[in-house]
Amino acid sequence: MQVLKILVVDDDPVTRSLLKKRLSKLDYEVETAESGVDAIRMISNTYYDVVLTDLMMPGGIDGIGVLETAKESSLKTEVILITAHGSIDNAIVAMKKGATDYLQKPINLDELVLRLAKIQNLKHLMKNASDLRVAMDVTEQASGETIQTLELAVADLEERLASIRSILTQSGVPPEDRIGKALAR
Amino acid sequence: MSLTTTGNLSLNRKAGAATSPSKTGVNPIPGIKQAIKIAPEEIKLLSQYIYGVSGINIEPSKAYLLETRLGKLLERERCNSYTEFYHKAKSDGSKLLEKQIIDAITTNETLFFRDANPFELLKHKIIPEVVDSRTSSTPKGMPVPVRIWSAACSTGQEIFSIAIVLKELLVSLDKYNIKLMGSDISDAAIKQASYGTYNKFEIERGLPRERLQRYFTSIGDNWKIKDDIRSMATFRKFNLMGPFSGLGKFDIIFCRNVAIYFKLEDRVKVFEKIADSLENDGYLIIGSTESLTGVCPRFIPKRHLKSIFYQLR
Repeated sequence: MQVLKILVVDDDPVTRSLLKKRLSKLDYEVETAESGVDAIRMISNTYYDVVLTDLMMPGGIDGIGVLETAKESSLKTEVILITAHGSIDNAIVAMKKGATDYLQKPINLDELVLRLAKIQNLKHLMKNASDLRVAMDVTEQASGETIQTLELAVADLEERLASIRSILTQSGVPPEDRIGKALAR
Repeated sequence: MSLTTTGNLSLNRKAGAATSPSKTGVNPIPGIKQAIKIAPEEIKLLSQYIYGVSGINIEPSKAYLLETRLGKLLERERCNSYTEFYHKAKSDGSKLLEKQIIDAITTNETLFFRDANPFELLKHKIIPEVVDSRTSSTPKGMPVPVRIWSAACSTGQEIFSIAIVLKELLVSLDKYNIKLMGSDISDAAIKQASYGTYNKFEIERGLPRERLQRYFTSIGDNWKIKDDIRSMATFRKFNLMGPFSGLGKFDIIFCRNVAIYFKLEDRVKVFEKIADSLENDGYLIIGSTESLTGVCPRFIPKRHLKSIFYQLR
């Protein structure tokens, strides 16, 4: 399975480094951003499979801002928000804006890993589906070209046969002349 | 409607937790319920039933489709065998189960602008020609009629793609009397088409970002077609196997990737009826891998660039 590329966004350096360390150990590719502004810059330059962002951050751009940028850059990016304990309302707003999931502080690492595994599974299925579609498109296009060429060729032949038939059944023309005319078709 | 499995991977559908993915029946996983197997005589029973209600022909070699597509319904109905399920469907006066079976057995694999060629054809050849000929036969000052039918519209992507092409090409639509009709045999598909709401997987391919943003509104993870496009189309449930009476005539008919599910003899009947529903100078577009050779001699194929369309002789 593909390695998930994750961007961790949190203004708290301890959370950042802890998440980076633990997730890297699990073979995820992890980068970090220390503010919403930083995150937006990184997301516009690079594609991330998952953006894991704190909801409340100083500096003008909060988690919702990060979510919006991520969704604008790629519909394929999944965003998980980290919310303060008890702020379900904010989480619901985020989910309505297209967040995949939210976690409450303090982050339970096992829970996070489960959510990431689910996303990875989903991505895998999506890739399968998309590969199948590409395979279908290629097959469809190739066979379509063949079928359409044959379709036109058959129609043309049918028309010629019809005209030969009408020449051969013409009355008042000697048979040899009819055959000659028919062969010329 | 066309056949691939992608529709079933749609992630917003909750997979029944109790459905076992095992097809072999061996090595049952403890605690996970096994799917009910279909017996050979049941394959015949169900195939005939499905043919009778929809015209869809399930070859014996595709019998697995019955299990993969009806298995969930069977569980929901708490039936212990396909025979029991069949009798339940037959005796259901409300026909609700019949509808659900049709929804489950039909394939709703469709995309916006699926296969770009027909839409290029529409834009560069067919619409200009239809508009031209209808304009000359319409009294001055009257709106020019253009009638288009998507004969197996599934969840609406095709007819909305056509609407987008018309909108982009004709600019001021009030000069025209445009009738776009989408029909499908599946109630569920028609319902979704009427809502005009699609999840991110359904809009992911075929729609460039600018068209997405111009013609859709985002609602959470979903996208809803804007009212000006939505209002151009009407939808109705329609079985191509039945009579076409009261349908009227059309200038353009799209009938792509649906006849492939029918027996040859039924295909012949369907295209005969389509020929009757098409204006004498009208256009028929079928799927890129479909052929009318040996099906309907009333149509002749014509090529325009990379596409084929059909007209009456």
